Amino acid sequence: MQRWIWILFPSFAVACLAEFVFFSVIDPQQLYLFGEPVNYSPIATYSICFFGFWLVGMASTVFSVFLQRSPEEINRRQHRSIGHAHRKTVLH
Amino acid sequence: MKDVELSAAQSGAGTEDDTLYEVRQKIYPRSVSGWFNTWRWVLVWFTQLVFYGLCWLPWNGRQAVLFDLVQRKFYIFGLVFWPQDVFFLAVLLIISAYALFLFTAVGGRLWCGYACPQTVYTEIFLWIEKVIEGDRNARMKLDQATVGGRKIAIKVAKHSAWILVALWTGFTFVGYFTPIKTLMDEVASLQFGPWETFWILFYGLATYGNAGWLREQVCKYMCPYARFQGVMFDPDTLVITYDLERGEPRGPRSKKEDYKASGKGDCVDCGLCVVVCPTGIDIRQGMQYECIGCAACIDACNQVMDKMNYPRGLIRYSTEHAVEEHWGWNDILAHIVRPRVLVYSSILLSIIAAFVWGLATKPALRVDVIRDRTVMAREVEDGAIENLYRLQVMNVSEMEERYVLSVTGLPGIQLVGDAQISVPPATTHTLTVHIRVPADSARRGANPIYFDVKSLNNLKTAVHEKASFIQP
Ligand code: SF4
Ligand code: SF4
Repeated sequence: MQRWIWILFPSFAVACLAEFVFFSVIDPQQLYLFGEPVNYSPIATYSICFFGFWLVGMASTVFSVFLQRSPEEINRRQHRSIGHAHRKTVLH
Repeated sequence: MKDVELSAAQSGAGTEDDTLYEVRQKIYPRSVSGWFNTWRWVLVWFTQLVFYGLCWLPWNGRQAVLFDLVQRKFYIFGLVFWPQDVFFLAVLLIISAYALFLFTAVGGRLWCGYACPQTVYTEIFLWIEKVIEGDRNARMKLDQATVGGRKIAIKVAKHSAWILVALWTGFTFVGYFTPIKTLMDEVASLQFGPWETFWILFYGLATYGNAGWLREQVCKYMCPYARFQGVMFDPDTLVITYDLERGEPRGPRSKKEDYKASGKGDCVDCGLCVVVCPTGIDIRQGMQYECIGCAACIDACNQVMDKMNYPRGLIRYSTEHAVEEHWGWNDILAHIVRPRVLVYSSILLSIIAAFVWGLATKPALRVDVIRDRTVMAREVEDGAIENLYRLQVMNVSEMEERYVLSVTGLPGIQLVGDAQISVPPATTHTLTVHIRVPADSARRGANPIYFDVKSLNNLKTAVHEKASFIQP
């Protein structure tokens, strides 16, 4: 649960801030997508961008959570899988 | 063999989770009544009447508080904020943050305990839970009972009630961003806009999840404020404290016993303060960051003290200094004025003063002059030179305005066509104006000229804008 909170929540908070800053200086009607003016409704543009920001933030926290594991934990994991392989060969 | 592998992997995963994350125990806070609980309910009512009600309040023929995302205009009663005013919003956020700093330095986590939406909705959801499932013991029994018709019926009833509150909350929230009357009509005719529906459900789900399921975990693992409050606290900050000196050694006793003679303190070790705590901590272990300052333990302990005929306040609002020095309320109040508080207040007051000054002098009219670059300067009859400009006249006021346009800066300069426009309240009027100058009055290249836009209704509303006139 805490891991989910770490991934979902800080990125959400940052996405709110990014959305506020971005759209306070940029009018959604003035955006271009692949060279074409964006022709979604403003609400759709706001929403899609918000999820874009959120996804980027999530990607970053997933990375942080991944890197943040302690050496013991990584070692334990490795030992476990090596242990499995070992046990398998012995039993076969 | 498979079994061996599986169980090894499982136990491995188990220990790993134990070391990294504490396993959450579901908390069943027992409901409590008392002075502080009453105050919390007063604030629940107040904040929620404002939240659910304010979006329905009309003002000048529109919604009083509306953050209109489509039109990119924020209305707060008589004030209209345009994208150009984003600075004001940023300052408003800074003011709120600073006010919270100051408030925290003085009052500790009063915000958390009484006014934070997380507390308020949890309180509402807990109340629903109590009405449908019963109090702490009944709820614990229900959760342990085997699944049967009664259990399912009770759970369905509770979650339906929660979902209804959550949906109404989501609807209200979206109603601050799209006019709520339109939204209501859409709902009534079952013609929701897809994104509005999405956001109603999203906010509803967040409310349901946070207040129904996550509860104290939001305060413990998600809230940044809970983490950095230590920075704002000092030994004179109001916190919830258990009076160690008076309470210990704790222990059960009979009411008639002369407990002082047998060396006991005032705490009867009934554990009531623990079972009422929404974050599941024991305040007797001292100040903990999990404590949201809800004072439920004070209410609970005061009931016990009353029953035992001991003085109230074994757990009470106090400050670190006050507990150490055995101060009364007069001393606590006298220590509110201290350097930290003075510094916070003076910074806060100066920002507020600047903000109010900025609002008061906010122009009621804005003009943007853009020279039309697609049409080059051209020669018209009598050899005069004409340039085209696009004028954006923003009436930022709340009244319809008539403006008169004029131009100066070069001899014989004139504006061709109608020099008066009227602009409805809070709208932008874009128009193209033709400016003519006799051939010999301008130098080659760019010449500075000035546009004047003046309101006919209010002589003080005027804008003087510079532009340049191109002579080929
Ligand atoms: S310790 Fe007391 S004040 Fe703190 S959260 Fe628990 S019940 Fe509320
Ligand atoms: S409620 Fe009061 S008396 Fe009971 S255990 Fe807590 S501190 Fe002691």
